[in-house]
Amino acid sequence: MAERVNVLGAAVFVFGLGLWELLVRTGLLTFTYLPPPSEVAVGLGELLGNGELGTALGHTLFAALTGWAVAGLVGVAAGSVLGLVRPVWTYSMASLEALRALPIVAFVPVAVLLFGFSVQTEIMVAFYAALWPILLNTINGMRTEGRLVETGRVLKLSRAAVLWKIQLPAATATIVVGLRLGLSTSLVLTLVAEMVGNPAGLGFLLVTKGQALQPGQMFAAVFVIGVTGIILNGLVMGAARLAFRGQLASAGEA
Amino acid sequence: MISCDDLSVTLPGANGPVNILSGVHLRVAKGEFVSVLGTSGSGKTTLLRVLGGLQSATGGRITCDGVDIAGPPDGVVTVFQDYAHSLLPWRTVRRNVALGIEKLDKTERDSRVDEALAMVGLSERDGEYPWRLSGGMQQRVQIARALAMRPRVLLMDEPFGALDAMTKASLQDQLQQVAELTGTTVVFVTHDVEEAVYLSDRLVVLSGSPANIGLSLDVPLPRPRDQIATKERADYLELRHEVYAALGHKVGERASG
Amino acid sequence: MRGTPVRGLIPLVVLLVLWEVLGDPASPYFPPPSTWVDGVSPLVESDRLLPAIGDTSLTFVLGLFIATVLGSLVGTLVGASRPVDRALSPSLEFLRALPAASLVPVAALVLGYTAQMKLVVVVLPAMWPILLTCRSARRSLSPVLLDTPRTLGLSGWDRMTKVLTPALLPAVLLGVRVAAPLALIITLLVEIVTRVNGLGAALGAAQSSFLSAQVYGLLTIAGVLGFVVNWVVTRAETAVSRRMRGTT
Repeated sequence: MAERVNVLGAAVFVFGLGLWELLVRTGLLTFTYLPPPSEVAVGLGELLGNGELGTALGHTLFAALTGWAVAGLVGVAAGSVLGLVRPVWTYSMASLEALRALPIVAFVPVAVLLFGFSVQTEIMVAFYAALWPILLNTINGMRTEGRLVETGRVLKLSRAAVLWKIQLPAATATIVVGLRLGLSTSLVLTLVAEMVGNPAGLGFLLVTKGQALQPGQMFAAVFVIGVTGIILNGLVMGAARLAFRGQLASAGEA
Repeated sequence: MISCDDLSVTLPGANGPVNILSGVHLRVAKGEFVSVLGTSGSGKTTLLRVLGGLQSATGGRITCDGVDIAGPPDGVVTVFQDYAHSLLPWRTVRRNVALGIEKLDKTERDSRVDEALAMVGLSERDGEYPWRLSGGMQQRVQIARALAMRPRVLLMDEPFGALDAMTKASLQDQLQQVAELTGTTVVFVTHDVEEAVYLSDRLVVLSGSPANIGLSLDVPLPRPRDQIATKERADYLELRHEVYAALGHKVGERASG
Repeated sequence: MRGTPVRGLIPLVVLLVLWEVLGDPASPYFPPPSTWVDGVSPLVESDRLLPAIGDTSLTFVLGLFIATVLGSLVGTLVGASRPVDRALSPSLEFLRALPAASLVPVAALVLGYTAQMKLVVVVLPAMWPILLTCRSARRSLSPVLLDTPRTLGLSGWDRMTKVLTPALLPAVLLGVRVAAPLALIITLLVEIVTRVNGLGAALGAAQSSFLSAQVYGLLTIAGVLGFVVNWVVTRAETAVSRRMRGTT
């Protein structure tokens, strides 16, 4: 992937920022509340300076990561059972498919209704959002190719050994994809929960900065959210690569 | 060693059950190299899967050393044609070869893996991932994995079917050597007449629908065999013609009937 | 989806029946399913439910359409040339990393609480899946396929309409299949957060008035909408790609 530094790409990125700055400064682009990048940078400085950003980021990360981690445990465990035990799959998959059709965001009002304006609401929403991709990817991943399971039989591996040495590793790459998807959806839904429910964290920060008509700080917060997403995804990938080098390499992900 | 009596297999098909094999009698002696020839769809693979305990027979009796086969018997290992789907892509070559013998202690395991890798000429590549290797090398890894189990019987399902002619020839010779060296019994499924004649002590032709054994032929060519010298011998050519004739005759008979 | 046995609905049905039988009709948290209809009926009587569904559907369909056009154009462009890909990918990657939720307050501030604002927020995230499938499909297009119309002396327009578009269509549809549920979710998300029209706004309003039965009722309606969207795009995708490739 990152064989060399993409100078051209970086230049285009910087050029884009410069163009934006120019268009806003010269008044060619006129929206009342569209700040030029320089103002966003100033806003970022302000947010960092008064400590608002650190607190909000910490709160959002805590809620999103807690929900995600619990979803990881529950999703992988339940997904393994569903993927490996045929009768369980037969007698519950359609229910899951029906529930999955319910748009995840529509659960945010339900969670607010049940848990009020609290951090529990955020954690529940993050959990629910991350659960689906993790669960479904685990179920799919556990459907190991017939030939691999047969190979285990030919080599006289026990049922446990087939599970541990063949089926779980074969599912790893798919499960990691589910974990990554789950992390980004739980972050998004945590933000929504903060916007309409619990008044805390980055989501609430965004809303208040909007209401206070401080577009510079607001864009800065969006920037920070984007960077946080990239870093979190990178951390999960890095950890997965360390732990499951071969599995990910074979799936073309390392 | 292995014997089938009046074996029949019926499998569920798209339009109801299909009778694949019927009335198959086959005996394979210890150390013998037997090829099973047939056109595609003739039931060769089904026969091999039954011998390997991966598929149960619907009728008849099938034993390995006098014991009925139900599930893969001890000392019998199948090598599949689609090596890419049978090797674990997340394990290195060495760890793939070790897969079936991980219950052994480390020194024993390592020495068996080394020995198996040496037999297929892959000692240098043991740290690589299989998907980095060529098709021929991947198939060698699969054979080494089987050899590491020290099998009494190797069941091979068109193992060289997906390889180019050069690679095929070199793997044939390697297999020949290994079988001779270890005294392993081999049942080798193929649709390649030359390959069957070149490698075997005896070959059988599956034909008909449902299939049974239409021709059984001893191949008394001297060993070790050689890709050039053996294939120029008059008796080799004669055997080859005989098999082709048998296959052609059957095809013609089916077309007219 | 395909091949999932209907028997699998048993746990869900059992759960709903238990909820109905054991649930307290006055519960502020878990009102039983039979009360949901009553909960939604004020919206029907005051003629607000259908317009809300209409608003949501319109934003969704328009947003998905614009996302499809933009995504396939940019995706094809980026997939056709390595240098263009290298030049644009860092910027695109960064834009992609911005969660849809964080765009909502920004768009609301810059564009106001309008239907255009809703569209912009839906289009951006829904574009990515289509862009990505188009990019990889364009990249892996066989050079022979591109040379064929040249040797046959086809014009640029014919090359586009007779070769390139049909060759990339399955990829576009695959992207749309992923993007459609996403676009619906984001439509609802914008509506819940900004309360600008639609089903999401109704859902948010019901929640803030503690009309729990109405919340569950609207949730079910959103679910049905989601199910219909999924069903339609999956059907369309398999039908078309089967015709294009001869297989699934």
